[in-house]
Amino acid sequence: MNIVGFRVTEIEHMIFSQKAWSPYLAGILIGLLQIPAFLLIETALGTSSSYVTIAAHVAALFDSGISRMDYLAKHMWGAKNLWQLAMVFGIAVGAMLSMRASGARRGPISPVWRRALDIDSLQSRAPMAFAGGFIMVLGARIADGCTTGHGISGIAQLAVSSSIAVAAMFLAAITVALLMKRV
Amino acid sequence: MNVPVAILLGLTMGAAFGLALEKSRVFEPGAIISQMQLRTFLMLKIFLTAVATGLVVLAVLNGIVGVKIYPKALVWQADIVGGLLLGAGITVAGACPGTVFAQIGAGYKDAWFTVAGGIAGALVFGYLEPVLRPVLLTGGSGKPTYDQLVHVPFWLLALLTAAMIVAVLAALERHKSWREEIGENFDGMPDVGTGDGKLGKSAGIASPAR
Repeated sequence: MNIVGFRVTEIEHMIFSQKAWSPYLAGILIGLLQIPAFLLIETALGTSSSYVTIAAHVAALFDSGISRMDYLAKHMWGAKNLWQLAMVFGIAVGAMLSMRASGARRGPISPVWRRALDIDSLQSRAPMAFAGGFIMVLGARIADGCTTGHGISGIAQLAVSSSIAVAAMFLAAITVALLMKRV
Repeated sequence: MNVPVAILLGLTMGAAFGLALEKSRVFEPGAIISQMQLRTFLMLKIFLTAVATGLVVLAVLNGIVGVKIYPKALVWQADIVGGLLLGAGITVAGACPGTVFAQIGAGYKDAWFTVAGGIAGALVFGYLEPVLRPVLLTGGSGKPTYDQLVHVPFWLLALLTAAMIVAVLAALERHKSWREEIGENFDGMPDVGTGDGKLGKSAGIASPAR
């Protein structure tokens, strides 16, 4: 079995070719990522400021005044910003390798959208995905963190701010989900 | 840390993160929507396990080694307004800002639009930030943590919280096992027709309105 360009052992093969792991194994692995984050990068695990890094570089292509926009400018360069950008890229690569190893390839959109909203084409799903991504990251930037930064990392640091942001997050997420058809 | 090492470390950590997100199926929009409809608790199980692990890790790193922690500033209106928008967006997107990248890796095409929307959201926030700052992002009360509020050592409250989370996880797993919640097509959706993961029709093929 050739997954990433080298032969893997039978045990590794069994682990990677599984379509699903226990949520507890996966959760522990994610939680352990705090060790290199705190010790080597000197920050907590987070993902949503990487969107600002990308946005700032996109904006810099057509707006020469970006260097004077403090918030965008400070997210453009530096080890911490580029570490996080590399990490979200790594998430896509890791998920792709995992999917190829197990064969759990996904179609253009999840079947949940048909069940919840009668949406069954990429064309009708795309604007909704764009809008969802927009308010999701806008909200994460206002709150200064997302499910990872406020959720997984903030609660693990016993931060009061994160407990409020996460409570608000679940409240809104549940409310919107209950407006959809029962899946 | 120099930039190339940070990037290499980011790629490695991201690959492990992506592996965990894909294998646990929490990147599935089906897992997010059915969690938020309180039909399954797969997302909460992964989320709480990661939090509990982090609490134990930080109890050791901070309590024994003395590593600095980085709690975020408490700004009530920003945490509430931002948290509400984030949550609404998560359900509409069927993803979190991090898990959407795993959706791209696994082949979902709409995830590209979610990321594009996220970049647009970050761009709008970047331009509005000077305007939002006085009304929404200031007036904070420091970076309080619960151990400071109740005057106990961080490591002690962290370990107690982790123990409470483990108790909650045990109850959730007794309520419904993760194998039933994952869906027979591994898309995180409850199987149609029955509450039993083994007898349901193929998920996503038959979907009677109800």
